[in-house]
Amino acid sequence: MLDAFSRAVVTADSKGTPIGTTELASLRQYVADANKRIDATLAITQNVSCIAADAVSGMVCENTGLTQPGGHCYPTRRMAACLRDGEIILRYVSYALLAGDPSVLDDRCINGLKETYLALGVPLANAIRAIEIMKIATVAIMTETNTGRKMFEGINSGSGADCKDIASEAASYFDRVISALS
Amino acid sequence: MKSAVTTVISSADASARFPTLSDIESVKGSFDRAASRLEAAEKLAIHIDRFTSESLDYVYGSQSYDQANKDKCARDINHYLRLINYCLVTGGTGPLDEWGIAGMREVIRAHQLPTAAYIEALTYIRDKVNIPGDMNQQAAAEFKTLLDYLINALA
Repeated sequence: MLDAFSRAVVTADSKGTPIGTTELASLRQYVADANKRIDATLAITQNVSCIAADAVSGMVCENTGLTQPGGHCYPTRRMAACLRDGEIILRYVSYALLAGDPSVLDDRCINGLKETYLALGVPLANAIRAIEIMKIATVAIMTETNTGRKMFEGINSGSGADCKDIASEAASYFDRVISALS
Repeated sequence: MKSAVTTVISSADASARFPTLSDIESVKGSFDRAASRLEAAEKLAIHIDRFTSESLDYVYGSQSYDQANKDKCARDINHYLRLINYCLVTGGTGPLDEWGIAGMREVIRAHQLPTAAYIEALTYIRDKVNIPGDMNQQAAAEFKTLLDYLINALA
């Protein structure tokens, strides 16, 4: 598993050169944005069940057959597995966001996910839709563009708009999962 | 690769939990110290060749020596300094442990290398860091901690 710092190290080591001023500039940016990154991570961790449950409900609402007998979310045991997976994907996205690098998401979540779902007969199109909804909800909560109240308490107050860049980074991690399943 | 952030994530993942507030506090703590680490890494990258050649000149002195030997020793010191540069960036001893120290004893024994020369060179670098000419006080402290770590591993 890598973070933004060790990613720079692995890249530099393959060239056999020390890490100099040019590479350090982006790392300094990462450190400077640390508070925003932490707030963005808190935006996920404080709304886990809300994000995952809404996404799965949304997926079911768009395909009501899923919860009917014979559907993929019937009986509740399978629906519960679906909710669990939503939370797991969200958890690895939160790790990647904190680390500033997708390697933890790739190694521990995405690798083999599609094969597992195919083997278990999970409909990929529906799984992708649920992840899309999670992405939209996460970005909205992070940037405080969700309708209704502000949904997270960051370390820095009123930082919603500041999280914009980090939110698009988070969206890219969801996109990574989506493209792995596509 | 171990760093402050990946250690926190690994332990969170081991118990299948989201990063808690205390996890985040510990990550934040490592960010707060990052400025001096990165400063040290930057200055070390700039001065790495000079540090190497000065310490080697000191170790080999004015006695007669085999130039090929000295060149190899310079290559190794340069390698160790590069790993210290990486450690300063990650904020942990991961790069030194994984790429410098693991297996080092076996290699040194197999080739009958004189570790005393390495230790002398690294100690010279540690003692001669110019503050604030080479790097500032906090950066030098981070740099010297890692030099000591490596010297202890070689000793």
